[in-house]
Amino acid sequence: MTSEFGIKVEGVSHSYAGRQGAGTLALKETNLEIARNEFHALLGPSGCGKSTLLYLIGGFIPVQNGVIRTPAGEVHRPGPDRGIVFQNFALFPWKTVLENVIYGLKKQNRSKEECEERARHFIKMVQLGGFENHFPSQLSGGMQQRAAIARTLAVDPDILLMDEPFGALDAQTRRVMQEELRSIWRNSRKTVVFVTHDVHEAVFLADRISIMSARPGRIEHEIETGLGLDRDDSVIESKRFIELSEQIWRLVREQAISASRGEH
Amino acid sequence: MSLALRYLPVLIFFAAWEAITFSGLVSTRLLPGLGEIGGAFAGLVASGEFFTSAARSLSRSGMGLGVAVVLGIVIGLFMATNRLFQLLINPIVRIFYPMPKSALIPLVMIWFGLGDSSKIFLIFLGCLLPVIVSSYNGARGVNHVMLWSAASLGASRAEILREVILPAALPDILAGCRTALAFSFILMVSSEFIIAKDGLGYLISTMGDGGNYPAMFAVILAVAGIGFAADRLYAAFAASSLRWKESS
Amino acid sequence: MSGGNVVAPQGAEIRIGKTGAILIQIGVVVAIAVIWEMSTRLGLAHPFLLPPLSAVLGRLAEDTMSGSVFLDLTLTLYRALTGFFIAAALGIPLGILMARQKLFGWFFEPLISIGFPMPKVAFIPIFILWFDIYDTSKIIMVVFSCFFPIVMATYAGTKNVDKWPLWSARSLGTREGQLLWEVILPLASPQILTGLQIALPVGMITTVVTEMLMGGRGVGGAMIQAGRFADSVGVFAGIIEIALLGMVVIRALEMLRARLLIWHPEARH
Repeated sequence: MTSEFGIKVEGVSHSYAGRQGAGTLALKETNLEIARNEFHALLGPSGCGKSTLLYLIGGFIPVQNGVIRTPAGEVHRPGPDRGIVFQNFALFPWKTVLENVIYGLKKQNRSKEECEERARHFIKMVQLGGFENHFPSQLSGGMQQRAAIARTLAVDPDILLMDEPFGALDAQTRRVMQEELRSIWRNSRKTVVFVTHDVHEAVFLADRISIMSARPGRIEHEIETGLGLDRDDSVIESKRFIELSEQIWRLVREQAISASRGEH
Repeated sequence: MSLALRYLPVLIFFAAWEAITFSGLVSTRLLPGLGEIGGAFAGLVASGEFFTSAARSLSRSGMGLGVAVVLGIVIGLFMATNRLFQLLINPIVRIFYPMPKSALIPLVMIWFGLGDSSKIFLIFLGCLLPVIVSSYNGARGVNHVMLWSAASLGASRAEILREVILPAALPDILAGCRTALAFSFILMVSSEFIIAKDGLGYLISTMGDGGNYPAMFAVILAVAGIGFAADRLYAAFAASSLRWKESS
Repeated sequence: MSGGNVVAPQGAEIRIGKTGAILIQIGVVVAIAVIWEMSTRLGLAHPFLLPPLSAVLGRLAEDTMSGSVFLDLTLTLYRALTGFFIAAALGIPLGILMARQKLFGWFFEPLISIGFPMPKVAFIPIFILWFDIYDTSKIIMVVFSCFFPIVMATYAGTKNVDKWPLWSARSLGTREGQLLWEVILPLASPQILTGLQIALPVGMITTVVTEMLMGGRGVGGAMIQAGRFADSVGVFAGIIEIALLGMVVIRALEMLRARLLIWHPEARH
């Protein structure tokens, strides 16, 4: 267990260029270590820089200060070792579900048959069997997110980055998707970084939760959920879950209030 | 609503036309009857004059438009993906875009004379800008989430341009090409009115100058009809390329 | 995503600041001017095909002094704008009527949608036949070519107004007669303005063509005359004049749009 790290964020700051040269500091000297195969949630009020941190890990925006390391090396650019699922608009609308899932596979050295077989396997895994030839516009929001997850999982990344992936879904669908994601993660064992502002979602899904403050964003608290590896819907009725949610909710609320004060 | 009911107003329009000429309210010199116009058209078709002219005109606008579409898409996409290139092209686009392209007719006359190349070049210039601007806007409008997804799935820069930006910008590109199609007809007809020795625009002028008004009306209506048909065909083609957009 | 680049998230892209961007663009214009001037001076281009920029600017200065530039520009602008405004005054009400009154919609929809994609300039000889070659016929031709895009856009914009704001307005006590002015027109205005923005350049193109065909001065008339007399300096001067006029007129309409749609999400950009 000694050097089995999944992601190391060391002294990372990030500021966005402002209109008059004065940049906005979105992230201040952030340190974070996530263990291999850990399900880690980044929780915080909007504008706290949690998505910025995720995009930095993904290599989508350049690291200005500090270092981000993964087992594959230092992060400089996006790559298939770090898959990402966004809130929406990420599927290629002109490709069918099958073509979307095959897209990333074709970039790897796989035969045509293998690509298709593997794509179909992951489509079935996210329960979209029968919808292979549908265009995204013909699917519900929940089904589109399933397809996006299948597309990302299919290329078998070590790290799965999720940017509020269920944020645009209705409450019922979200619950179902959370349970499925947890069980997919149990079977595939990946390092997951899950950005959300939903306390229950974070507690239900994650092994560990980082609570972030806003403007400038930094990690204020790290909390181990300790709810065990195997969870199902019943876990949300447990005493531990309820207490933990209460406690975390209070911490997040503090951050949200101080953030809204900072705006005025 | 049935097709007949939908297009009844068109019939009413032509019936009113007939009624006016028949009643003698307007001299048939100013507004020939539909029968007369049809007869004149049949004559032009029989003599082969109509098809020769149409072939000349359409090959000109087809060539100018075709080159403009290909070049315009390439320039527009590169502008959206390369900042330096964008800065180099942008001032030229900004100067030429709002200019009424028909003002270039005397220029192409000086440069290329009365032959084919003057008209082809004019149509090319007129169609190029709407295609560049729409491709550029379409490519810039592509959601970065889609580009990031492609990058994290292992696509290279060139692959992202070809496999993601181009198809994602296609709705805008197709809309720009439709504008260009309309421009190609406008410029084709106007340049043939002013500087030509053949083609549909020239045919209209000669018929008018010769006082053969039924034939003039016939060719004008035919040109309008061809313009309309080209637009409808194009719209059908565009809709079939964008089938993924409609939700069931 | 600042910087205007859509592909490179890697930071490998050349970074060009705002001042740099402006300088580069000014540089491009200056470079074109210099290349233009030099290519004729060095004998790379025939001065008839490409008269030196200095000669063209000299002609423009001369014509400005004599006032003929203003005469031509004013005439062209007068014809284009009169036609444009008449087309708007006819087209906007018709588009609204078509969207709000079934009978109007039924009668005009097929006629307008057939007329819309037709190349209107083809009808110029008919208008010459009917109204001769003076201003009336030029302006009517401009009205004819601007009319269709305006009607189409107004019709589509008015038809697409959602029922929710109408229901809200009614429940807040808006009377039926006020709905049009207070709710429907503002909501349809982005599309109506788009229609006007499509129509205006079409009107300019048509004005120039009618002037070239019918004469009677104006920038188009002056240019075709210069062309016929092989006066290439005059042709280039005309192109610069009309390009400036087009830029000013189109920019004015953009500013009007920004002013009128200050409430619209698009104003934030």
